[in-house]
Amino acid sequence: MRVILAILWKDLVSEWRARERLMAMLVFSLLVVVTFHFALPAGTGREQIQANAGGLLWVAYVFAALLGLNRSFAQELENDALSGLALAPVDRGAVFVGKAVASFVLTSVVQAIVAFAFAIAFDLDWIGQAPRLAGIVALGTLGICSVGTLFAAMAVRTRFREVLLPILLLPALFPVLAGCVRATSEVLAGRAIPYDAVQLLIVVDGIYWVVSYLVFEYALDE
Amino acid sequence: MTLALHARGLEKRFGAVAALRGVDLELESGQCLAVLGPNGAGKSTLLRILAGLARPSAGQLRVAGRDQQALRRGAARALVGYVGHATLLYSELTAHENLVFTARMQGVAEPGRRATELLETQDLAHVAARRVGTFSRGMSQRLSIARALVHDPELLLFDEPFTGLDRGAADALAERLAALRDGERSCVLVTHELHQASRLASEAIVLAYGRVVARARGGSLERAELEAAYARAAGATP
Repeated sequence: MRVILAILWKDLVSEWRARERLMAMLVFSLLVVVTFHFALPAGTGREQIQANAGGLLWVAYVFAALLGLNRSFAQELENDALSGLALAPVDRGAVFVGKAVASFVLTSVVQAIVAFAFAIAFDLDWIGQAPRLAGIVALGTLGICSVGTLFAAMAVRTRFREVLLPILLLPALFPVLAGCVRATSEVLAGRAIPYDAVQLLIVVDGIYWVVSYLVFEYALDE
Repeated sequence: MTLALHARGLEKRFGAVAALRGVDLELESGQCLAVLGPNGAGKSTLLRILAGLARPSAGQLRVAGRDQQALRRGAARALVGYVGHATLLYSELTAHENLVFTARMQGVAEPGRRATELLETQDLAHVAARRVGTFSRGMSQRLSIARALVHDPELLLFDEPFTGLDRGAADALAERLAALRDGERSCVLVTHELHQASRLASEAIVLAYGRVVARARGGSLERAELEAAYARAAGATP
């Protein structure tokens, strides 16, 4: 727990002072929302928007998360701080959890702002669904941040890390996105949560966290 | 005799390129070894293997009696303090925060007190609350040394610590390193600075193309001897 908290504290304090990741993620995902706003044909009905909102929202969320995960380890390259982490006499699984939780916190902040902006841009009323939506988004983000942190650590020492991370991560996110988009769409349409989608998310999250925790030991090696 | 370092036949390959070709080393506890050689000789690769940051392709290594497998596991990594080319510091954190973070990662009791103590010994107490990104190269290097000392390691590894320092800062750093050496820690110093090597080290090896081409031993190393070995290494062929 000591290591997890130390990494979490370090990442959040660094980000609070630099605001590099947050700004990049926020600007990018808001641009996606604005683009969708102009891309939809005039006269598109609220029901149609509501039906597609889950998919549109997760496009913005996934690409924002990719940006954040890339930066999460890129900042460790400055002054070769990554070697400092690799030298620490700790369970590297704890380093993984600290980094993944920090990414989860930052991504969640961006997601909340983007959801608010999305609702305003498309004149949607999500207030009633907010707690259920937050739960589904949190489950999806946990999955993205677990395997995303592992792949970001593997990609960071390569020359093509900006390209390699999406290539590795996006195929692995298919089951997460399948569950998230479906559950989000149902909730936004005011229907009941599809529990099979939630079960899928819980199982995939569990597998991704356990596997990433175990494999991270080797991800920090040169 | 306790050996701080014992390596036999260390090799490291990056694809077809051999960075180290059968390096043998022995260093007694409390001694300081200088590793000299021209660019591309394999000095930094050797140091990263000694630190446990890279795996050798072949050969055996023991640090303070622990074998390589043990070194790659968590607890044994605390035996080594590493000062690399880069400072291993976080620019957005203050000097004190950097040391507290490292102390927490190393499991040091009372991280805050230890950080304050080290900042005082490195004459950085007055900039403890300043972000590292605003530090000069000399200040960063002193903080990097403090970082390596946080957990009081048995073996200190320095990778060209004088690079980028002006003469005054380099001399001041050499004095600090001499004080550490006199504190009975073992150290390995990779450097191009022959006069600093002869001043600080009790033993020296010269690497060229991944091989040890010269060794010097004794209480005080003769600079002329090192210069001759270095010149031979610079002219060596693979």
